[in-house]
Amino acid sequence: MLLDLDFDVGTRDLRPAGLSAEAERQVERFLFAEARLLDERRFEAWLALWTEDGMYWMPRRPQQESPYDHISLFWDDAMLRRVRVRRLDHPRNWSQQPPTRAVRLVGNVTIDGLDDGGNLVVSSVLQVTEWRRELRHLAARVTHKLAGVAAGGWQIRLKRVDLVQCDAVLDNLEVYL
Amino acid sequence: MSLSDLDLAALVRPDSVHKRVYTDPEIFALEMERIYGQAWIYVGHESQVPQVGDYCTARIGDQHVILVRDTDGGVHVLYNRCAHKGAKLVAADEGNVGKSFRCPYHAWTYRLDGSHLGAPLKNGFAGTCFDPADPAFSLRPLARVSAYRGFVFASQAADGPDLATFLGGAVTSLDNFCDRSPLGKVEVAGGVFRVLQRSNWKVFYENLHDTMHARVTHESSVAAAREEAKALGGMPFELHIMDGNGEPYEFWEKLELRAYDNGHGYMEGIFNPGAAERDPLARAHFATLEAAYGAERAREILGMNRHNTILYGSGSPHTVFQQFRVIRPLAVDRTLVEIQVFRLKGAPEGVFRRALLYANIINSPGSNVMPDDVEVYARCQEGNGTDGGDWISLHRYLGTDREVPGGMVSTNGTSELPMRNQFKAWRRYMAGEAAAGRGLHVA
Ligand code: FES
Ligand SMILES: [Fe+2]
Repeated sequence: MLLDLDFDVGTRDLRPAGLSAEAERQVERFLFAEARLLDERRFEAWLALWTEDGMYWMPRRPQQESPYDHISLFWDDAMLRRVRVRRLDHPRNWSQQPPTRAVRLVGNVTIDGLDDGGNLVVSSVLQVTEWRRELRHLAARVTHKLAGVAAGGWQIRLKRVDLVQCDAVLDNLEVYL
Repeated sequence: MSLSDLDLAALVRPDSVHKRVYTDPEIFALEMERIYGQAWIYVGHESQVPQVGDYCTARIGDQHVILVRDTDGGVHVLYNRCAHKGAKLVAADEGNVGKSFRCPYHAWTYRLDGSHLGAPLKNGFAGTCFDPADPAFSLRPLARVSAYRGFVFASQAADGPDLATFLGGAVTSLDNFCDRSPLGKVEVAGGVFRVLQRSNWKVFYENLHDTMHARVTHESSVAAAREEAKALGGMPFELHIMDGNGEPYEFWEKLELRAYDNGHGYMEGIFNPGAAERDPLARAHFATLEAAYGAERAREILGMNRHNTILYGSGSPHTVFQQFRVIRPLAVDRTLVEIQVFRLKGAPEGVFRRALLYANIINSPGSNVMPDDVEVYARCQEGNGTDGGDWISLHRYLGTDREVPGGMVSTNGTSELPMRNQFKAWRRYMAGEAAAGRGLHVA
């Protein structure tokens, strides 16, 4: 069960990552590319960016410590990510007719360090302008934990999306931010 | 145009209801008086205010109210209005005010029961009618407050049936909710989702027992869960609760719908004892109940396998997954649903985690399931705004429902009995002898 996992969501007590300027630039480009895949609803390609044990987390509360003792807006493992993508691609997904269109602006990308598992912790700010029947503006602090790939490049082990309006009355949030 | 009681009564027929009940702001305003100004409405659970001075805020119809814990351990429900110039006294969803309320405008203070405590520079009131003992200078309590096993309800009418009588046969769901704890106690825990529906509040009540929509509206999430289960070669709990909506019509036809006075009711599920015995968490839960109540009673408690219960005007407690979807009308075409999750005190922690997981998957704004519900509700609101027709059909299995003490039971689980029952109550509130409106506030 998803709430019986032992998954490290901590992003404190980090070691310095010591990345070169070029490596930092690569991380930034990785985040931009990820955002673009979501903008273009290329979900299959987006799914391939993840480690098999990766978690997508959108807390319900500001500074939420844990997904295990509190509800979350999203707490999706690989299985639920695939389910969501299957639904978004289904011809009878009524609430996606018309579909949500959005653009994502990723900024203030900062390398925070390495966690105990050797994952690179990256912080950024996300601005999303979304259109479905009306315009909606979402903004979040995003924390990625990236796992290095032997052949070079990165995979997502954790994406934590702290919406500024996380504890508000919310309309549907169907598409990953 | 102003509506007479006769006009209102004519909007509800035995087999249909006029679309105006969903779209007319004047009717919405009357509902606030005649239903929400009168009925027992759920405010919150006592566990939300455990300490002296703890409060949480709620909407009773169009009224902002405060639930607060007093020094003597009791709770009060007060209108959220300062007696001086009317400032809203507390602004947050929850918090603690200490030993008294203090208004942020001119510092009038009130005890936790709402009574006047003080105002600065008393000399200024000398020779006037200002009188701290006069209720006009205190916070006004709601006319009646009553709790049932920790669930606090309030009524804005001074007269009427007591809470248990009002809830009728649906009260057994609140009992079963609590009995599932080996201590007989539950608490709100793990946060609350707040979801906006762009539709009239009655649409959601009707949908709670609308067994005909599940496999149609939820086709995309059912298909996604089934495809994924096939790829995995198994159906874990997360997918199972999405898959359930896809049951064939015959499954829904076999369910039993109960409808009680005042619009309440519940849906009786088909209990499968085999499934409970296979599930280690259900077995562990059973063991704690067996130790507390004995095996026979424990089987009876867990065997009461209800789906959505409807407490009309308040919302929908769900006994099996420990949640209360509280339904708060905001406007004729806007409804707020607050999903409270509960912990069964003394039960295995896994039972609580399963409730959190269920809420995450089914009730979150980020759910794969709920968006399709919210979408079709909004489409009803939009469709009923057109001149394409005037009446909503409630014909299914009309005339086949059987009478039971205090209410009715369906002979087929796809009966529109629950909707007919809700509108029977609606008509009585809105146009019947109960149409007198909010009672006088007698201090
Ligand atoms: S309005 Fe509250 S003290 Fe004046
Ligand atoms: Fe539904």
